[in-house]
Amino acid sequence: MTVPPDPGVSRRSFLKGSAVAGVATTGIAAVAPAAPAGPTTFGPGEHEIALQINGKERQVKVETRTTLLDALRDGLDLTGAKKVCDRGACGGCTVLVDGATVTSCMTLAMDAVGAEITTIESLSDGDAVHPLVQNFVHCDAMQCGFCTPGMVMSSLSCLQRRGKPTVAQMQQDLSGNLCRCGTYGRVMQAIQRTAQGGGK
Amino acid sequence: MKPFSYVVPKDLAEAAAAAAQPDTVLKGAGVDLVDRMKERLQTPAQVVNLLPLRRELAGVARTADGAVHIGALTTLTELEQHAELQDPALQALRQSAGMTATPHVRNRATVAGNILQFTRCWYVRSEAFHCLHGGRGPTCLAVTGENRYHAVLGWLDCVRVHPSNLAPPLLALGAEYTTTLAGKERRRALAELFPAEPRAQNPEHTLLPGEIVTALHVPKQPAGARSAYCESREKQTFDWATTACAVRVVLQGGKIAAADLVLGAVGPNPLPRPKAAAALVGEAPSAALFQKAAELAFAGANPLAHNDYKLTVGKAIVRQALDEATR
Ligand SMILES: Cc1cc2nc3c(=O)[nH]c(=O)nc-3n(C[C@H](O)[C@H](O)[C@H](O)COP(=O)(O)OP(=O)(O)OC[C@H]3O[C@@H](n4cnc5c(N)ncnc54)[C@H](O)[C@@H]3O)c2cc1C
Ligand code: SF4
Ligand code: FES
Ligand code: FES
Repeated sequence: MTVPPDPGVSRRSFLKGSAVAGVATTGIAAVAPAAPAGPTTFGPGEHEIALQINGKERQVKVETRTTLLDALRDGLDLTGAKKVCDRGACGGCTVLVDGATVTSCMTLAMDAVGAEITTIESLSDGDAVHPLVQNFVHCDAMQCGFCTPGMVMSSLSCLQRRGKPTVAQMQQDLSGNLCRCGTYGRVMQAIQRTAQGGGK
Repeated sequence: MKPFSYVVPKDLAEAAAAAAQPDTVLKGAGVDLVDRMKERLQTPAQVVNLLPLRRELAGVARTADGAVHIGALTTLTELEQHAELQDPALQALRQSAGMTATPHVRNRATVAGNILQFTRCWYVRSEAFHCLHGGRGPTCLAVTGENRYHAVLGWLDCVRVHPSNLAPPLLALGAEYTTTLAGKERRRALAELFPAEPRAQNPEHTLLPGEIVTALHVPKQPAGARSAYCESREKQTFDWATTACAVRVVLQGGKIAAADLVLGAVGPNPLPRPKAAAALVGEAPSAALFQKAAELAFAGANPLAHNDYKLTVGKAIVRQALDEATR
């Protein structure tokens, strides 16, 4: 019972993270016993963990109570995901964890150790942007833009899972993202245009 | 959130040992727990993360006797989409999982966490108020206050409602649950997970400190069994139900040979309504019959100042669930 199940927590990354913590940070309460005697315990103080973000391993200092959203925004300066309600009730903080959309504000950073995290920052490289982003611009799929990073991530997941989604499937996949400006129709156009190969 | 230690168990035995320590709580995905910790309604010294046990405690499987085993850490998305549940008898379970919260919440939320989530009563979920629940204050604030989402049936001194989407269909299907505590495994009828007297002083579930839910079991359904789950809510997504109904019927030769009917979101527990179910047995499905069952389901209701709409809406939801199950 040592191999972690998908998409849960990787013991390897955990131990790696806590080993780094052992030398790199102060005020650590993390204990990572070498022998399998008892469970691994972290916190309550600050320590460093390794997160797999957009294909790269990143070290970040967290407390056990730090959410994935705070680790991304405050710890790694990945500020694309927005903190809006901080209660799982708007979708502004949507990122992909092992390919599935999650609200990063209700996910502890510790819970994301060992998982593949994809943020909106993965969709641009300098001036080059992913066709989906291009199509958000083309279709004018945003107004104030506050929900947009979350909308883009839900749209990306929709396209990845469904290829050419139907209207009902798009509605379903966007149903965890609130837009106060009412851009849903345009967002669906942007998804469809991407599915048809536009924006490249 | 108040700082806490975070325990990563390697197996169930380690999780159970850690869970037995004082001031410790268990965490599934944490969607409910993190919310309460953010509000400082729960300030444990230690949180045991159950997610590393997904390999042993997640997944849906048909057992040799035709029952369905649902691991406690199975996500709501897995439940909604699982091939083993594509069966008209189990439709209610898929429907209720698929209507819960949002896709992002369902992708993480666990089955056990959903059933064990804390009430949504806005008084007890706010740091600013101190009500009778858990002995935090002298009286129930909702019974005389803002109570449009509160109970209309089965309440005693606390008018909270049970918020879980999954509890009503699991009860209607006759589910059981398995727990582990101090190395002992116990399997009981799901109804035993809820307090016999849902008072303010009693927690919303009967688990002992450190007791871990490991699985739910849905027994093999008889030939002709069909189920459905319907709910009312204010928004199409993101929202808890205002009323909910799960039904299971066994259809034989155009008649209802057996029935179970459970209401959700209208009382402090998910509420089986055996009299309403009994009225269906031996009859052929009809609008008049469903109307009679709906009336019986809400017989004895005691609505509050702002929630008598739940009677009208709830009865329509009962009729809709029966209609869907017998169609
Ligand atoms: C915007 C929004 C809308 C929502 N709408 C709905 C809705 O419509 N219907 C609905 O039903 N829910 C709804 N929810 C609630 C959501 O479904 C629950 O918060 C979620 O299912 C909890 O699961 P979890 O794994 O995150 O549990 P956790 O938060 O990890 O745990 C919840 C509780 O259960 C205990 N626990 C968890 N697992 C175990 C176990 N195996 N053994 C013993 N104890 C355990 C924990 O100690 C804790 O007290 C909504 C949530 C949000 C944010
Ligand atoms: S309904 Fe229960 S939880 Fe809500 S205010 Fe009354 S006693 Fe407190
Ligand atoms: S900020 Fe996470 S859902 Fe609103
Ligand atoms: S563009 Fe303003 S909230 Fe969506």
